[in-house]
Amino acid sequence: MKKIAVYLIPLALFLGLIIFLYQGLFSNPREHQSSLLDQPMPEFVLPDLMDIEKTYNQDVFLGEVTLLNVWGVWCITCAIELPYLKQLQGEGKHIVGLYFDQDMDPDFGIKTVARVQQEVTDKLSQLGNPYAFNIFDVKRDLSLDLGVTGAPETYLIDQQGKIRLHHIGDINARVWNKKFAPVYQELTAQ
Amino acid sequence: MSLFKRCLIMIVLGFLSIQVLSTEDKFHFDSAEKNALFLELTKELRCPKCQNQNIADSDAMIAVDLKRKVYELLQQDYDKEQVIAFMKKRYGDFVYYQPPVNPMTIWLWLLPVLFIFIALVGIIISRKRQAPEISQEQLDKAQAILEREQ
Amino acid sequence: MLAELGNFALVLALMMGILLSIYPMWGAYKNHTKMMAMAKPLAIGMFVFTAFAYGCLTHGFISDDFSLTYVANTSNSTLPLYYKITAVWGGHEGSFLLWVLIFSMWTVAVALFSKAIPIKMVARVLSILGMVGIGFYLFMLLTSNPFDRLLPFFPIDGKDLNPLLQDFGMIIHPPMLYMGYVGFSVAFAFALAALISGQLDSTWARWSRPWTIAAWSFLTAGVALGSWWAYYELGWGGWWFWDPVENASFMPWLIGTALIHSLAVTEKRKVFKSWTVLLAISAFSLSLLGTFLVRSGVLVSVHSFASDPSRGLFILGLLVVIIGGSLGLYAYRAPQLKATGRYQLFSREVLLIGNNVFLTAATLVVLLGTLLPLVHKELGMGSISIGAPFFNQMFTYLIMPFVLFMGIGPLTRWKSQSPQALYKQLLLAFALSISAGILVNASFEQSSYMAAFGLVMSFWIIVATIMEIQQRIQPQLVSGKLTILQSLQKLTPSHWGMVFGHLGFAVTLIGIALVSAYNVERNLRMTIGDSVSLQGYEFVFKDVSNYTGPNYTADVGHVDVYQNSKKVAQLSAEKRFYPVQRNVMTEAGIDSGLTRDLFVALGEQLKNGDWSVRIYVKPFINWIWLGAFIMAFGGVLSISDRRYRMTKMAKKPQVDKTPSPVLKEQIS
Repeated sequence: MKKIAVYLIPLALFLGLIIFLYQGLFSNPREHQSSLLDQPMPEFVLPDLMDIEKTYNQDVFLGEVTLLNVWGVWCITCAIELPYLKQLQGEGKHIVGLYFDQDMDPDFGIKTVARVQQEVTDKLSQLGNPYAFNIFDVKRDLSLDLGVTGAPETYLIDQQGKIRLHHIGDINARVWNKKFAPVYQELTAQ
Repeated sequence: MSLFKRCLIMIVLGFLSIQVLSTEDKFHFDSAEKNALFLELTKELRCPKCQNQNIADSDAMIAVDLKRKVYELLQQDYDKEQVIAFMKKRYGDFVYYQPPVNPMTIWLWLLPVLFIFIALVGIIISRKRQAPEISQEQLDKAQAILEREQ
Repeated sequence: MLAELGNFALVLALMMGILLSIYPMWGAYKNHTKMMAMAKPLAIGMFVFTAFAYGCLTHGFISDDFSLTYVANTSNSTLPLYYKITAVWGGHEGSFLLWVLIFSMWTVAVALFSKAIPIKMVARVLSILGMVGIGFYLFMLLTSNPFDRLLPFFPIDGKDLNPLLQDFGMIIHPPMLYMGYVGFSVAFAFALAALISGQLDSTWARWSRPWTIAAWSFLTAGVALGSWWAYYELGWGGWWFWDPVENASFMPWLIGTALIHSLAVTEKRKVFKSWTVLLAISAFSLSLLGTFLVRSGVLVSVHSFASDPSRGLFILGLLVVIIGGSLGLYAYRAPQLKATGRYQLFSREVLLIGNNVFLTAATLVVLLGTLLPLVHKELGMGSISIGAPFFNQMFTYLIMPFVLFMGIGPLTRWKSQSPQALYKQLLLAFALSISAGILVNASFEQSSYMAAFGLVMSFWIIVATIMEIQQRIQPQLVSGKLTILQSLQKLTPSHWGMVFGHLGFAVTLIGIALVSAYNVERNLRMTIGDSVSLQGYEFVFKDVSNYTGPNYTADVGHVDVYQNSKKVAQLSAEKRFYPVQRNVMTEAGIDSGLTRDLFVALGEQLKNGDWSVRIYVKPFINWIWLGAFIMAFGGVLSISDRRYRMTKMAKKPQVDKTPSPVLKEQIS
């Protein structure tokens, strides 16, 4: 009997592995936890997209629950997301844009600030403007500090300026109700 | 206009007008050590958005940004551990191809070592427990069957 | 219409598989010869219908039948004809049809070339293959049918074959790889048949050896082709990325390598039987696990197919039945397996099994490294990545004892080896390999310890292998009966197989050591007319021209390479744009040589007109794949050995010679 136990080891290991493989089937391998959760917003000083003489820093998020939405006119998914964001704004949510720029980077294209501003104005007047204002992340430094991997991504920031949620990909009704709404309500109830 | 804002605008505009000189390394270092460290790091940091590529191999925007950041940090005399810590703080353990050591991941090293140890001990023990040699007669019979089957 | 016939043929093949899994097994149980004899026609039927289905799908591709979902997704009318034919395995469904076709080919080969094996054994083996086949055919028909139609609305043109796969390497890589993966099913079936029959002597080891070596040779070539393809097609200059999908092909290879050695010991010395059976089960199980990993989408990889949880669930069920069932049977029967041979601690047996231990540990490293991130995340511990730094470190440690044993193993005797007798020989081999390694390494400008280390290990294997040959032919030479050439000719093909296998490994090791240590790369911005020098080569960026291919447009960067003002190579590095899939592909310009590759990849054009260019000089990189093909050639030599030519040995039909009471007695 003791001998059989030894020969059962491969089977036991295999069955243990199967459990994890089974669980793995139902989770998205690309999704992972942001390491900035419950951390305060990183420090930054960046200009306003429409008025580069005006600057913001991390204190701009204090006092209000904010959705920080990373986007750019070049990003196709962002355009799909805009109408829903507009709807959220209509419901009274405070949404700030983090303009994730690639047009002014010599490796990807060179455009003037005026040109970028014009494109943003066109896009937003066409699809609706959900943003209270847009922070212009010129060299994508803030994005890097935030752990942004691309656009669109959205952060939920509480009244104390702490990051409470980080979502990669677009926001739609399903994502909002499942992921954002519970946290948002908890924060605004305070 | 404050001096600060003016500087900022200069930075923004300056960024636009960077003229690229021809035939130069995309990331130029003065020391060979730093260059080697840069190559090593960009091969060991994972592009967070890609399908399982390091940032050296990927041309995705995020990979380009991370490469540029690694370059900047190395220029600021960060060492390897500091660069990795910088990246991990922002992108988590996921960003580095060498897993952290914790109660779960320790098995990555322990299990193979344990296996080798147990197996080698097992070989020695099983050798000691060998059954007595089978009689030559039995072996001949078995051989005969084998040959007949051919 | 042909597609419907193809679909029907697949259903018929499934029927054949079902019958194959029942009749011969039942016949073997009842000792009913006619039922056992059904195995052969059923196996042939399964193959013929599968081949017909495969032909139908190929016809769908050639005739641009975009009403077939699979064709519409993986082909395009502008695709050249040869790529249309290979596009059949360019996606999940078709590649699985190829998998099944190859599976039925192995099955039919076993049915045809096993005349020397007792009919009961063959019947059981084919029945087990039939059972495995049921799973494969059901999977295809229920979740991944390549003959599904897009009716009534189908596209005018297809979505095109992934440009990465429009390449020569991709034409031969998947069939080779599948030949290896699926080929292990034969070793698996032999091991299970032995367990079922209770005929637990080591005869099954002899019968399954040529099949296993054949599968291993294909797998070796397949893995090497995959690595070579990644090297020149992905455009990053790397040859192994420790990607989950690569790991999935590497694990069966490692275990398969252990298996072919363990089979030799079990056959010749009748020891380590339960270990060999376990390896035979594991090799095929790891092939199946690899299939699961690639086709279910549980892991993120560069190479994986579009994922679909329902498919994943089906394969997982298949894994539970096939692997779980066989490991259960193993636990039940293996305790009865007893070694009959005896051996001392210092003997060839122990060295071979020792290397089995290291190969298995290496497999464990790859398995853990591939799957632990998944477990880590499922346990809520966050995402981690396990990649090159971890694997390279572990393999560096594992390869040291492995290579040491690999050199000594062939020099030792079976049963018992006196250490004194080998002492001097080993010392000489050690001294020779160290001096050769250091000497060769010194010829490089900036010498690296790791390279020196790798070279010493390679020379150790080479020196030991030559010593072994010398040891073998010594008696004839001393007696003066034969010349060197004659005595070399007297060595058996399977012996030469071992020699080539080991030398091939040494060649691969040299390649890995040198390219890892002395690879040089530059990532540059270049204007046309610029030049840059690297490792004594002058790379001149001549111009960039436009080119229009059959289904793509390309920027072609022309780079001339000079050495000592003499032109040594003209490279064209392409950046292709495939409009149908809107995909940009890098086609590197490579000048291949035995001692170095010059590698140029064209990147994006920068806004000021400069080009981003990557230039590499990669010393001895081709040795990596050359060594793999030498290993595979060694496998082919082994199979050609006369003692495996079983068809010729059997003159009369063999009926019921299986029961071997004596052997049974021995094991009880």
